[in-house]
Amino acid sequence: MSHLFDRENVDVAWCPGCGNFGILKLIKEVLEELKVEKNNTVIVSGIGQAAKTPYYVDTNMFGVLHGRALPAATGIKMANPELMVIAEGGDGDMYGEGGNHFIHTIRRNVNIVHIVHNNMVYGLTKGQASPTSQKGFETKVQVNGVINEPFNPLAVALSLRAGFVSRVNIGNAEHAKGVLKAAFMHHGYALVDIFQPCVIFNKTNTYQWFKDNTYALDENHDSNDFNAALQKAFEVMPMPLGVLYQNKNSVVTFEEQIRKSDAKSLYFITHDVSRLQNLFDSY
Amino acid sequence: MKRFEKDFSESTHQVSISILIGGAAGLGVGTLEKILSDAFKSSGYYVFCTKEFMSRVRGGSNTTLIRIANFALQAPCWEVDIAVALDALAVEHMKDRYTKSTLLFVDESFSEKDFSTISVAMKESAKKFGSARYVNTYMAGVLFGVFQLEKITLLRSIEKYFQDEEINKEVAELGYETGQKIENITLPKLPNIDIKEVQKLHLMDGTTACGFGFLAGGCNMITAYPMSPSTGVLNFMASMTKEFDISLEQSEDEIASLMMTLGGWYGGARAMTSTSGGGFALMGEALSLSGMTETPAVIYLAQRPGPATGLPTRSEQGDLNLALYSGHGPFPRVLLAPGSLEECINYGYLAFELADKYQIPVIVLSDQYLADTIMMIGDIDFSSYEQRRYTLKSAEDYERYADTANGISPRAIPGFGKGLICAVGDEHDERGQITEEYKMREQMVSKRRRKSDALLKEVIAPICKGDGEIAIIGWGSSRGVIAEALERLDDKRLSHVHFAWIHPLSFEQLRVLDKYKYKIVVENNADAAFADQLKLHDVDVNVKILQSNGFSFFADQLEGMIEESLKELS
Repeated sequence: MSHLFDRENVDVAWCPGCGNFGILKLIKEVLEELKVEKNNTVIVSGIGQAAKTPYYVDTNMFGVLHGRALPAATGIKMANPELMVIAEGGDGDMYGEGGNHFIHTIRRNVNIVHIVHNNMVYGLTKGQASPTSQKGFETKVQVNGVINEPFNPLAVALSLRAGFVSRVNIGNAEHAKGVLKAAFMHHGYALVDIFQPCVIFNKTNTYQWFKDNTYALDENHDSNDFNAALQKAFEVMPMPLGVLYQNKNSVVTFEEQIRKSDAKSLYFITHDVSRLQNLFDSY
Repeated sequence: MKRFEKDFSESTHQVSISILIGGAAGLGVGTLEKILSDAFKSSGYYVFCTKEFMSRVRGGSNTTLIRIANFALQAPCWEVDIAVALDALAVEHMKDRYTKSTLLFVDESFSEKDFSTISVAMKESAKKFGSARYVNTYMAGVLFGVFQLEKITLLRSIEKYFQDEEINKEVAELGYETGQKIENITLPKLPNIDIKEVQKLHLMDGTTACGFGFLAGGCNMITAYPMSPSTGVLNFMASMTKEFDISLEQSEDEIASLMMTLGGWYGGARAMTSTSGGGFALMGEALSLSGMTETPAVIYLAQRPGPATGLPTRSEQGDLNLALYSGHGPFPRVLLAPGSLEECINYGYLAFELADKYQIPVIVLSDQYLADTIMMIGDIDFSSYEQRRYTLKSAEDYERYADTANGISPRAIPGFGKGLICAVGDEHDERGQITEEYKMREQMVSKRRRKSDALLKEVIAPICKGDGEIAIIGWGSSRGVIAEALERLDDKRLSHVHFAWIHPLSFEQLRVLDKYKYKIVVENNADAAFADQLKLHDVDVNVKILQSNGFSFFADQLEGMIEESLKELS
């Protein structure tokens, strides 16, 4: 393994043992193995422990606001569809603060890879419940345990007819790598929800817990079968891992539809002055 | 100057006639405005139209004011020469704007004894053609007939705006015949005309002019959430996607609007968003991100009266402080407020230039009045607006936040060059890595601060007109109305100072105001936000003329307000 996507001279700000290290390694390996051009790749991230990932990957990056990676990623694809764009963040970032954008980015079918680190807790703000926290999970804020129904990103994504819906566990890195690669290869919006433990603030959902409460889907699951995928999305204890659903029919993407001519970067698009003049003169 | 007196004996006089048309939403007041403005223009008159309407799709009572003249018009007036009530409610709604000589056209089914009314069979005639909605075309015909203008001119305008133009033309012809036959009324005499001069002009609203300005600035992407009165720009740009390569998306909310715009600029587009006060408030955090990441943004902010939902379809210059102070943490920004169609184009263009060059958010402040008012503009040479690029191809050792003398770091975009572009909302070092190192923080604060200093050389000075010692100071959309109020007053003591460049203000430049003995600020708001800005720059204001009733100023009313305020000076 070379270190093509290692960024030099960075001080990684995660806690020892954090699940994010595994995800960082995974992403760098997948980018390298898929021979992704780093100059042509942008990772957009919000705010949170997970959102720090692109600071440690040697590509272009746009570090934005909490919850707002998806609309920024959408804007980048609108400007230049030729760029490989990844939106990355945690469960609070993507499903909480950015929940509205999650819905509408899927509806648009923006051709991006959407990576969500899901540790069922808020790390950066030190241990509050996240949208995916399990019921009964006790924190300094949820002192009597979480009472809200956990957010089900896979079911939501499926209900919005996302073209690629998957979940992996960083505890099973080899399996995760295969799924992440498939997400990169998918033409259209691809969701990869990654289970990862927070070793400081979540003493419930540990490496062992994720191992005990998940299983990898095998060939008996047909990822082309939407109804089967929907059923799998609601399965708990154990929760299925893998590509729950992939629409293998070529579905036209957002950026393919909104651009008038070709997919050239808008950097090259200036308006024809005589046409502009004629339009104005017609008033 | 006798410009506004109703003395028509000498044909050389400059004369204007104001026509107010009222009716429920859905009755076609807006269509009537389009047809008549086009037909009057084709007949050789200078035309000015402005509308006020309720926040409802059907019913209520809306009006449009059409002024025609033999000289260029740039302001609305409150009192009207002619009023056309398309329904009974409109008679009441327009009442405050009648004078003793106002001619009121009403349907024969209702009468108004206090005014000189002219009963017309509007409803019956429209119904003859199968629908009450023809009442607007019918009245267009009546007015043209009353004025004895060329019928064919009106019919040509109808052809332009209707799908079912044949039936509408028939309706208009019937109206025209009726209008011709109306007798025994003292009509204001139509001004003399110079068709050739008028034909050279273009008729459009502020929304359209701003849109052309943005296109001249190379805008090739817009992401926005609909909100009155800003939606017109989104609609205009949408229509332009059929002409040009423009990326457009209706976002899920205003936060996404500005985030997509920032993503667009980061990715190489010239992007913008459009919104009004409430939506702009939601953009506050993203505005701050634009400042921190030094990602350009152009925001068209069409103001309406607040707080909260306020008066959704009405006008106010109430969001100056919002635009100026929105976003946490200090960062440079530019506020521009055009006051004429020419300024809409020039400042729309300039917004993109400045955003790109200084890597900052630029906010174009419009309002419902400017957005929806139809005025005339001369020829514009679009080849004089160069669509530039201020980005470079990145070298391998490229640093997004390289420190420079003027604080502007050369901007590159991903995919062009060997370097990587790391733009970050956390405090960062020169290459765009997060840092909390205090010396680097000081360096970056200073770098952003220096951009503010550099911007000062771009500041466009206010336009000062007149040699009087009393300055009437306005900003943005009030330019035309102040100008007409001053013409009406014809008082040599009065000068007009108009600001279209609102922020940052140059302290040195403002010393030009020191020569005025008295300063009267006119603002369409309740907080005199611009007067506060002047005060910060050692410009003391003697009197503030403020209005925040949902209407823009009217030239005749403002004339009185200024007259009144002059009494306070001595």
